[in-house]
Amino acid sequence: MRNGEKDRIRGRSLLPPAPHDAAALEVEHHLAEMADRLVQAGMTLEDARREAERRFGNPGRYRATLESDEKRRRRTMRRTEWWGVISVGVGRAVRSLRRSPGFSAGVVLTLALGIGANAAMFGVLDRLLFQPPAHVVNPDAVRRVMTVGTYTGQPWRQPIGTYPDYLDMKKLGAFEGVAAYSDVQATTMGSGPDATRVQVGLATWGFFPLLGVHAERGRLFAESDDRQGATPTAVVSHEYWRAKMGSDPDVLGRTLELAGHRYTVIGVMPPGFTGVDLKPVDVWLPLVTAGVLKYGDSWLHNRGFYWLNAVARLAPRVDVRAAQEQATAALVNARRADIDKGNYMKDAHVALDPLVAAKGPQASGESKVARWLGGVSLLVLLIACANVANLLLARGTRRRREAAVRLALGVGRARLVTTMVVESVLLALLGGGVALILATWGGGLIRKALLPGVFFPQSAVSPRILVFVLIVAVVAGLLAGVGPALQSTRSDLASDLAMGAGSGSGRRSWTRATLTVVQAALSVVLLVGAGLFVRSVSAVRHENIGLDVSHLVLARIEFETRAMRSSGTKSTLMGIEGATREENQVYEETMERLAGVQGVDAVAGTESPFQWGFASALKVPGLDSIPKLPGGGPYYVDVTPGYFRTVGLKVMRGRAFHASDDAGAERVAVVSDRMARTLWPDEDPLGKCLLVGDTEECTTVVGVVEDANRYGIRESASMTYYMPLAQRKDVPINGVYLRTAGDPGRLAARVAPIVRGLDPRIRYATVAPLQDRINPEARSWTLGATMFTVFGLLALLVAAVGLYGVLAFDVAQRTRELGIRTALGAERARLLRGVVLHGLRMAAVGVLLGLGIAMVAAPYVGDLLFKVSPRDPDVLAGVAVAMLLVALVASVVPGVRATRVDPMVALRTE
Amino acid sequence: MPTSPLAVVQGTLELLVLKALHAGGEQHGFAVLDFIRRATGDQLVLEEGALYPALHRMERRGWLISDWGVSEKGRRAKYYRLTRAGGKALADEERRWVAYVDAVARITPQPE
Repeated sequence: MRNGEKDRIRGRSLLPPAPHDAAALEVEHHLAEMADRLVQAGMTLEDARREAERRFGNPGRYRATLESDEKRRRRTMRRTEWWGVISVGVGRAVRSLRRSPGFSAGVVLTLALGIGANAAMFGVLDRLLFQPPAHVVNPDAVRRVMTVGTYTGQPWRQPIGTYPDYLDMKKLGAFEGVAAYSDVQATTMGSGPDATRVQVGLATWGFFPLLGVHAERGRLFAESDDRQGATPTAVVSHEYWRAKMGSDPDVLGRTLELAGHRYTVIGVMPPGFTGVDLKPVDVWLPLVTAGVLKYGDSWLHNRGFYWLNAVARLAPRVDVRAAQEQATAALVNARRADIDKGNYMKDAHVALDPLVAAKGPQASGESKVARWLGGVSLLVLLIACANVANLLLARGTRRRREAAVRLALGVGRARLVTTMVVESVLLALLGGGVALILATWGGGLIRKALLPGVFFPQSAVSPRILVFVLIVAVVAGLLAGVGPALQSTRSDLASDLAMGAGSGSGRRSWTRATLTVVQAALSVVLLVGAGLFVRSVSAVRHENIGLDVSHLVLARIEFETRAMRSSGTKSTLMGIEGATREENQVYEETMERLAGVQGVDAVAGTESPFQWGFASALKVPGLDSIPKLPGGGPYYVDVTPGYFRTVGLKVMRGRAFHASDDAGAERVAVVSDRMARTLWPDEDPLGKCLLVGDTEECTTVVGVVEDANRYGIRESASMTYYMPLAQRKDVPINGVYLRTAGDPGRLAARVAPIVRGLDPRIRYATVAPLQDRINPEARSWTLGATMFTVFGLLALLVAAVGLYGVLAFDVAQRTRELGIRTALGAERARLLRGVVLHGLRMAAVGVLLGLGIAMVAAPYVGDLLFKVSPRDPDVLAGVAVAMLLVALVASVVPGVRATRVDPMVALRTE
Repeated sequence: MPTSPLAVVQGTLELLVLKALHAGGEQHGFAVLDFIRRATGDQLVLEEGALYPALHRMERRGWLISDWGVSEKGRRAKYYRLTRAGGKALADEERRWVAYVDAVARITPQPE
């Protein structure tokens, strides 16, 4: 040994020892070498050792410095080694991308679908549940003031509601501030044919300082802007200012005509501000000023006028529970008389709910479904990961020999595994990139189509989503990559080197079969979900609510005269009765005009269009009292002749109204089926007498019609009686139904401008398909059906590809065996059957497992469905059949390939 | 006759180690010691107690990098190698040393 360089066995790097060992080892090495030298010079081993130690001096002196050096060294080394391994992994990924673009594209796309689904859902869930409203300072201290209790036997949790109750809250020491605001109201801006609708939010002036928001331009409301009779002022949203006012720099001082009153713009809100809720607000108005203009001033003192929400900011160091107790005491005290009279909840108390929905007890149907969909999108990701793991396993098997060679050459297993995992993580990151594109596109679609009432201030790809995708991609890459990497580097080297790639071990194909089964099972679960929601939607669509929703358009007119009437101004010459007469005249003209429009089959007006309800004192001779039904009532509906035919209510007995049922004729009524059965179960309702209001004059029942829902999809039929509008005094028409055989949406679009331009007294007309009134209620099911279907089909596709992959790979692996069997005269049909049966068996196990999971999960989705059992046998059977069919198709291709194996080629492959 | 070994002049230890690694390539601490002893005809003998701290110090500066390996005798040893920065440092140290020797030579009598 002449030289240190030659001393070392090349190419063999050892893992460095632990730091304290390293220092000792280095010294020890030195001592051993020195002792060798001295022994060569003639010393005994013992003396040489002692002499070497003497010369070195006290090794302990250096131990400490050596150790700390070694620690530092290892840190940097690990870093560089890490980078080395990562760069090798990146290199491998790039090479494999280039060498097998099909495989890589498969992996990237599968993961992109999985990650993209999650990114899109995350964006939605984040907005619905997690993100505090924009521009709110310290949002945790801001609480929604809710009243909670039991009302008519039902749990009640509603906003505080009335202005006097809000004022009581304002006096409490537990709060730094309390503010009230209204729900967003669609309001007419301008008048006549050019009028538009804007979304208006009313809020007390203190609302904005309480939240901590500042004007982007101009100023927000001051106390003097928000009182009865103050000059009406308005603040527009940033988005409205930009889109509808062309970012006018001179916007301050412009006037907006809203529902007949002129408001001066004094400021612009910062971008993205929607108060504490999710709906977009175009214009903010001071609550007291605008509220009095709109509703008169009685609500300022009336504890029966429920229309307000309130938020409170907790005073510093006040605990929520203490604040709730204080607020409850104030509420109960103010409502004492009502409670004693039985007009208010006996167990009423105040709850201070957090702003962020995820932290609160309240969840809308949509957010409940959205939560489920979040879970579902995770399932899709799991399926995608399983599929990618499967693909990687298949390739790992092919590369096993390569791995074995490298292990034999002394490349550490840890290093090998790391490079493989880095490769899969890199592929996952690429998938994440593609996922962002999918999420931008898909997320936008989900938002627009399924959550139209929610304002999304951010684009589909926000920094939060970027971070989310990054994390999900890395986790997915690890999830899919670690298992296969460990498997393909498992070290029964000899056998792998000895045997060809064609000899996949049984264990591994078992793992792959399991993964395939799991994919199939999860897909089945998703498809069952999809099926249940689709059935719910169709049940909703076909739900008979009485009114023939799919053929009706509802037109409602807003009159110039209305504003004056509602603000309590009596200065109009004609007075209220005159106004009603005049308005009804305009309605009659409108109906006449519309009856002539092409596509309109029938027209009728009513005092209470859908979702309106009136009740009146009612006595029925012969009955001591009128039974109370759960939905309240009986309700009355005043209609014009032709109403039943127009809205699609069948007259079951007697007759409908005629034009001759006018003020001069005998008073008549038609009752609903429910009312007839409830009041006169065993008698003929025709000819019975109703005493409506405080008159002693009989209104004679002349007919019975089908029941109709009053508010929406989920309600039980109530007692309703109909009367001719012409026989009633000073009853306004509040809406007109148009019946069409065609598309109501298109008809509405055609009719709206006609109505708006018909008469100068018309400020605005809302003309829309009746379906639009039902849709918001049906939205949670539509949302569920759409997303479950998309995710379910996605999962099915991925599972089918996975199954195909496993079988195709098996066939490729068994090429030699199949070739020999063909050579020995096996029938091709038999080989085909073998492969296909193998595939179907895996699918069948998956189906059974999936159905099992669906059955177990059933109780948890039950209340999200509409008139569909969560264990609906049709859905379960349909999904099972669909899955097996897809599995059959996925198995046939590899099966056919198995029969085409050329024995000669097969035997030559090694 | 062998003269007694010279003490290593303050500040030249690093130069010697760098030189050894430069000339001898990758080697462990004992080999560095041995190289210097042999190359100087047993005139310069480094103290072990100074050598290892110096090696570690220079590694910390990035002049050397090390790796664990197995020696021909089958012992585990830590091997040091010059980095590019180490090569530059060696050139600097050499220049300084030559300048120093030159300066010292000017004021000391030349041997006849």
